[in-house]
Amino acid sequence: MTIQRSEKDLFLEISVYLTGFDEAELQGTGMVNTYYQAVLSNNTQPDVAYFFEMVATILQQNEGNEDALNKAISIHLMPASAYSGMAMNIINMWYTGNWGQNVVSGQAYIQGLIWDAAEAHPPGAKQPGYGSWAIPPL
Amino acid sequence: MKTDNYDVVVVGSGIAGAVIAKTLTNAGKKVLLLEAGLQAGIALDPEESYKTYQGYLETFYEAGAKVPNSPYPDLKDAPSINILDIVKLQKSNTPSTVGYLVQKGPVPFASDCFRGPGGTTLHWLGTTLRMLPNDFKMKTVYNQNVDWPLTYDELKPYYEMAELEIGVSGDVEEQKYPDIPKDFFGKDYVFPMEKIPQSYLDKEIAKKTDKLKVTLNRKEYELSCISTPQGRNSTPNEDYKYGSIVWDPSKKKLALKTQPKTYNPDGSLWDPYTGQRCEGNASCVPICPVQAKYNALKTLKKATLENLEVITQAVASKINTDDHSGEVTGIEYKIYKHKGSPEYTTATATGTIYVLAASAIENAKILLASNVGNTSDQVGRNLMDHLVLLTWGLTKEKIYPYRGPGSTTNIPTFRDGAFRSEHAAWISPLDNWGWSWPTFSPGSDVTNALNEGVFGKALRNRMNDLVTRQFLLHFEVEQSPDAGNRVTIDPQYLDAIKNYRPVISYGVSEYNLKAFEASKTVSDQIFAANGIEDHTVYNPVTDADYVTYKGQGYTFRGAGHIVGTHRMGFTKDDSVVDKNQRSWEHPNLYLVGCGNMPTLGTSNPTLTMTALTFQAAENILKQLEQ
Ligand SMILES: Cc1cc2nc3c(=O)[nH]c(=O)nc-3n(C[C@H](O)[C@H](O)[C@H](O)COP(=O)(O)OP(=O)(O)OC[C@H]3O[C@@H](n4cnc5c(N)ncnc54)[C@H](O)[C@@H]3O)c2cc1C
Ligand code: SF4
Repeated sequence: MTIQRSEKDLFLEISVYLTGFDEAELQGTGMVNTYYQAVLSNNTQPDVAYFFEMVATILQQNEGNEDALNKAISIHLMPASAYSGMAMNIINMWYTGNWGQNVVSGQAYIQGLIWDAAEAHPPGAKQPGYGSWAIPPL
Repeated sequence: MKTDNYDVVVVGSGIAGAVIAKTLTNAGKKVLLLEAGLQAGIALDPEESYKTYQGYLETFYEAGAKVPNSPYPDLKDAPSINILDIVKLQKSNTPSTVGYLVQKGPVPFASDCFRGPGGTTLHWLGTTLRMLPNDFKMKTVYNQNVDWPLTYDELKPYYEMAELEIGVSGDVEEQKYPDIPKDFFGKDYVFPMEKIPQSYLDKEIAKKTDKLKVTLNRKEYELSCISTPQGRNSTPNEDYKYGSIVWDPSKKKLALKTQPKTYNPDGSLWDPYTGQRCEGNASCVPICPVQAKYNALKTLKKATLENLEVITQAVASKINTDDHSGEVTGIEYKIYKHKGSPEYTTATATGTIYVLAASAIENAKILLASNVGNTSDQVGRNLMDHLVLLTWGLTKEKIYPYRGPGSTTNIPTFRDGAFRSEHAAWISPLDNWGWSWPTFSPGSDVTNALNEGVFGKALRNRMNDLVTRQFLLHFEVEQSPDAGNRVTIDPQYLDAIKNYRPVISYGVSEYNLKAFEASKTVSDQIFAANGIEDHTVYNPVTDADYVTYKGQGYTFRGAGHIVGTHRMGFTKDDSVVDKNQRSWEHPNLYLVGCGNMPTLGTSNPTLTMTALTFQAAENILKQLEQ
């Protein structure tokens, strides 16, 4: 039996494979809703529908096989020509808080995953405390 | 306080204006301060200042390009220079009019400042090095540039005042610069606070850079890496003894007053316990969220408020003088009603003494617009900045940049030496913020990886591997005073309330170009010793300030150090102000700020300028009490 998953669930699930951050880390940003809305508002409705149709298909077809899934993402989602570059824009949004050149919100900037990937913190927020910079990150 | 009889009228509430306002009101003088920026920004009480500042912070978070002025309001009625407006100039004769400055070139002036309450210290980095004794006598020692009418020793007591005012953290013992005398700092002198911890990155780079021998023009130099004094809060130094700066009417001097208590760092405007330590926000430029970093509003808050009247949204535009005596009779200013409104009313501020503290470019512009103080024809000339050559690369091991204040260590080796008769000197700060300045990393690193089709865990790993190894080195080259580098005005170019926009002519002399060549040679040796893979690119097509020397191209950037437009000198023919910082022609007009500095040296200018400003305040008090 296949359970009908909502687009938002699919968004979260595919984001894990697109970003390399696990679900708990993505949920931890508190941005899932905002970013899903940003996907809807920055793309045409047909692009969104076709994108999630493809996401549902490749998630289902490659369940349990990460290599195959990555290959499918590479072929079907990553090209700039696929769904007006939606996958790339989604990754960029998770990493930097921007959709294209536009900052999604102040909070999105603060929650950018790039700072975690770089073992740093967003300049101007989440400050690690006096003298923390004098030792390697914990 | 409202009166018709101010002792002093001050234009500008940056650090220069704030030091004047505080020192004079504390000494019982009545001061009127005119400030071009918005009313909200001047708030000093906890509630309002918090609200305004949180607004700046939110604007910063939401800004696409997080440049120095990004958190702050840009006003049509008093525009700020913005580095986003610095564009490559075309080789035709039409200047660039993008932004506030009109740039005639040959290359664009590359620095900005903030016009608003508190001025540019809101987004400064806060490095507070003193100038070196030889910096004050370049002509005598190296036959280059000009001498100052002041010596290091004369300025020394005022440096100590400036270090208290700004609240400097640093370790005096470690401050070993080339060729300085033993008593460069006074006996047993310490800074108010202990040094800001040096970054992990600094310590890793220093392992192979401190004591490294490099060769330059067939001469060998041994490099050193030392901690950098800076205006941000750390642990108070138990041995620091001063508490305030007071006017002694009997001796007619300003003096540092000792206090029995331990030094207490100045926290934020809204809460004295917030910002008493730097918390490592790593966003000092453009905004320190907790105000652990000094800004001029902290000084203004210490003014004696019953002696101070502030008028905001008041843009000084013209100085009126008496034809016979030369005395200034008033300063005309335009008040705009609200942000962006083209409507304004004009009023005149009057007092006994007048002080321009609107920063170097604006001060010069106001003088030119008024045709005042310019018998020497030096007003607007000798515009200078540190020309920042950046070099960047990847270290072998992770050094974890993007953490801590912008810079905590520097290489002072080329701040002074015999080479200064041949080429300019420089200081090399190690940078803690990766490649963010030259390449807009790490955002651009994400874009690049995505364009290569990298995603998922591979992307995360790539970012971790790349961003943690980014190293950036600065060479801040001392620009020499050049009469052709100047601010002028032209009735063609006016802002929204019909004040002049500054028209800038700007270029780089051979003396400076030689220093680019020399610094790249030194950079190559540092990178080689550290096994750093060089990724520096100077792009002839896209870089606005791309210059060539002996067939090699270099891109320099601005340091934000706007200096030299109303120089201090020896006679009324060679300079705009005398050694008292008073106009040669107008006995009740003082100019303060970096515009007074005849040369730049290799230190960021604000500490020296603040020392000078205390001296100016003392001179004004003397004149008032004659
Ligand atoms: C990115 C950056 C980093 C920097 N880092 C350092 C550093 O690490 N160390 C260092 O020493 N220096 C640094 N500087 C330089 C430093 O910020 C300036 O030297 C210093 O702030 C100048 O102070 P000021 O009071 O003379 O002028 P400003 O701070 O520019 O203040 C001028 C004031 O005058 C007001 N004003 C302007 N025009 C008018 C008018 N017509 N009428 C009324 N009011 C007017 C403005 O609103 C403002 O309040 C940096 C600068 C930048 C841009
Ligand atoms: S590192 Fe952070 S807390 Fe420290 S001065 Fe800079 S912005 Fe402020």
